[in-house]
Amino acid sequence: MSDINVLISKFDFIANNPKEVIDKYIAEGKKIIGCFPVYTPQPLVTAAGMVPMGMWGGQITPTVAAKYNPIFTCSIMRSCLEFGMTGIFDQMSAVMMPMLCDTFRGMSSAWRAGVKNIPLISFIHPQNRTDSGALEFLIDEYKSVQEKLEAIAGVKITDATLSATLDLYNTKNLVMREFCDVANDHLDIITPVVRHNVMKSATFLEISETIDMVKELINELRNQQICKWTGKKVILTGITAEPEEFLKIFEENKIAVVGDDLAQETRQYRTDYPSGNSAIERLAANWMELKGCSMAHETDHTIRGQMLVDMAKNKGADCIAICLMRFCDVEEYEYPYISKMAEEAGLYSLCLEIDQSTQDNGQSRTKIQSYAEI
Amino acid sequence: MSKTQEQKPKRQLAKSMIMVNEQTAKVYAEAREAAEKGEPIGWSTAIFPQELCETFGIPLVYPENNAAAVSARHLGGQFISHAEGEMRYPINICSYARLNIGMADKITQPGWEKVEPAMPVPTFLTLANNSCTQLMKWYENLSRNLDIPIFFVDCLYNYYEEEPAPHKVKYVRNQIENTIKKMEEFFGKKFDWDKFLEVQKISQINRIMFNEIVSLNSRKPAPMNGFDLFNYMSSLVLCRGKESTTRILEQLKKEIEEHIANGTSTYGSKPEQYRVHWEGIACWPNLGYNLKTLKKYDVNCVMNGYVTAWDVAYEPGDMDGMAKAYQTSSTNSFSTPSIMEKRTESIEKFSCDGMLCHVNRSCKLMTFHIFVGRDIIEEKAKIPTTNFDGDQSDTRVFSEAQFETRLQGLVEVMKANKEAK
Repeated sequence: MSDINVLISKFDFIANNPKEVIDKYIAEGKKIIGCFPVYTPQPLVTAAGMVPMGMWGGQITPTVAAKYNPIFTCSIMRSCLEFGMTGIFDQMSAVMMPMLCDTFRGMSSAWRAGVKNIPLISFIHPQNRTDSGALEFLIDEYKSVQEKLEAIAGVKITDATLSATLDLYNTKNLVMREFCDVANDHLDIITPVVRHNVMKSATFLEISETIDMVKELINELRNQQICKWTGKKVILTGITAEPEEFLKIFEENKIAVVGDDLAQETRQYRTDYPSGNSAIERLAANWMELKGCSMAHETDHTIRGQMLVDMAKNKGADCIAICLMRFCDVEEYEYPYISKMAEEAGLYSLCLEIDQSTQDNGQSRTKIQSYAEI
Repeated sequence: MSKTQEQKPKRQLAKSMIMVNEQTAKVYAEAREAAEKGEPIGWSTAIFPQELCETFGIPLVYPENNAAAVSARHLGGQFISHAEGEMRYPINICSYARLNIGMADKITQPGWEKVEPAMPVPTFLTLANNSCTQLMKWYENLSRNLDIPIFFVDCLYNYYEEEPAPHKVKYVRNQIENTIKKMEEFFGKKFDWDKFLEVQKISQINRIMFNEIVSLNSRKPAPMNGFDLFNYMSSLVLCRGKESTTRILEQLKKEIEEHIANGTSTYGSKPEQYRVHWEGIACWPNLGYNLKTLKKYDVNCVMNGYVTAWDVAYEPGDMDGMAKAYQTSSTNSFSTPSIMEKRTESIEKFSCDGMLCHVNRSCKLMTFHIFVGRDIIEEKAKIPTTNFDGDQSDTRVFSEAQFETRLQGLVEVMKANKEAK
């Protein structure tokens, strides 16, 4: 197997076996902090010497979680609660949960009722981000999170440590963005599944490991011959585009993913931690600068739609595939305008339902095939 | 129609209810009049600091209240269909939002057939997300579709059981003060702080009086059918800062005191056998069926948590207090343990024999409270609970048969509990 294929296999393994990743870190004596999606202050975890671990649920049909989760809860939250209640997350020292939607509000109580052995660290982002008091408020929220993490880690996070960690996170952002760019020259190698595995691995691995592995992949890709892709190209938007079987439908129809706005993928990496008066201020200011996310209120309500149209045009895609997480209110409210804006810009829009609790991708298959035949 | 039905006399409305209807009609008429003159009019979330626009003298109407009224009259379907169809909104989002977003699109189209109470086209929006985060997404859509600004007070969420931390109160207060400045600019008017204090005072008089009225239903037997509270709640939503609400509540209190003195009740002549706490928003399209079925089993829902959402309590003049109050008034501002603590107290105060929970397809957080909180209620309040599926506006979710079966089950347990005492 060539070096690049070995590397791709590693990403495949990590993306599909986060439990093995946790076991490895635990064996190294590290503490794990689970991070519910999205925008948890992961640099605080890293700065405290612990490992932030993305929590993205799994392809299961939850049973015990139904005690606390209404059936119209999004499947990521249901499967995360199921994993919490059935001991899968037992090696985590705590979990961090942002109050970004109504499901999170409800889940913060559900978690404490159903998973008593893993402490919950809740916090809330200010949504009125242009208000003069918003930044100061978030700094105070993060200070409260910091205190709880310090107590778990048994260390104090200094301004210098946190600032250096934020720089490291900016490096990760840069590397992930670079990967997305380089990947588009090698769409024969970086298939939708491979691309996703790289992005998902980055939510499980320690930051330095992510940076090293993704940099290595970028270098390997640069040694490959540039591929002139003749198939169709799409942009993905939404919370996640999983499972693998779903992404394989694109591959089977010779459709490449050339950009994404997925919360699990590049949405996390497009906004850097800016400079500021203190490290904690830099950490909080990141949320203020974030653009085009359904979970963050904007005064310009068309910014995401325009961003997606521009992304598609810049990357030569003719379709925006809206991967609509079932029961995700924040995304469901944005679907109508995004699909219309895409169509007004002369692009195709596909609405593909994502639900971790079903293995049936039949509807998506039909829609993707129809698009491929156009 | 059978002869019996033809001859059935229509129940005479209480004077207080006539006053509510007149007040509602006036609010809509004034808003429509302002709109016709080209003056600013706003659409507001139900627990926004109404004191601001009341002080400015700018009319507000309330989409949640309007959606409830339209749904209760079974007229919401056309707007929901329009939102789900031509406008592409998914069926899973809040039905109030689907109804209102559909309506907002319809009323801007020429020649649309008015549905009463008819909302005028707004020129601005006021948003507080203390009830839920869906409100924020709903209003973003209105703002985008109608191209109008939002005045936003982000009210956060109290995810632990403690009092709101000072930094939370400070952020909300800051936003209220900044909103006043932005409104001064938008309306081209100076904010009258003396009038504001008066509006705050009236708002407090009204919410205290409403609480006193609700408390009267703790008497056994209850002087009111608990569902009546849903009807009077609209005065607190639409006109919490107006003296007209004070007059209505004075009249209502007088009527209830008369019932107490006469040993009568708006529940009817047949005595209540079971006192139940209703959890959640009403099933507005099915209110009549709910009421009829509850009466069939001699159940009076003497209290519901929803009506306490407008108990926005603070000292007039205390901006921190006001900020904290708007952060903590809604059921959905609190964690489940906090809200179930309140429910346990209320169940005890109102001597409830059971709890009937509306698993409202449109309201995720209230449903989470029910799922997570029922163990707390059964353990602490020691009363049985039951759930039924429904919706506040979408008629496709509620099943009459399921409602009756679940109620029958609850009644059987409540009966057994009574017999065991």
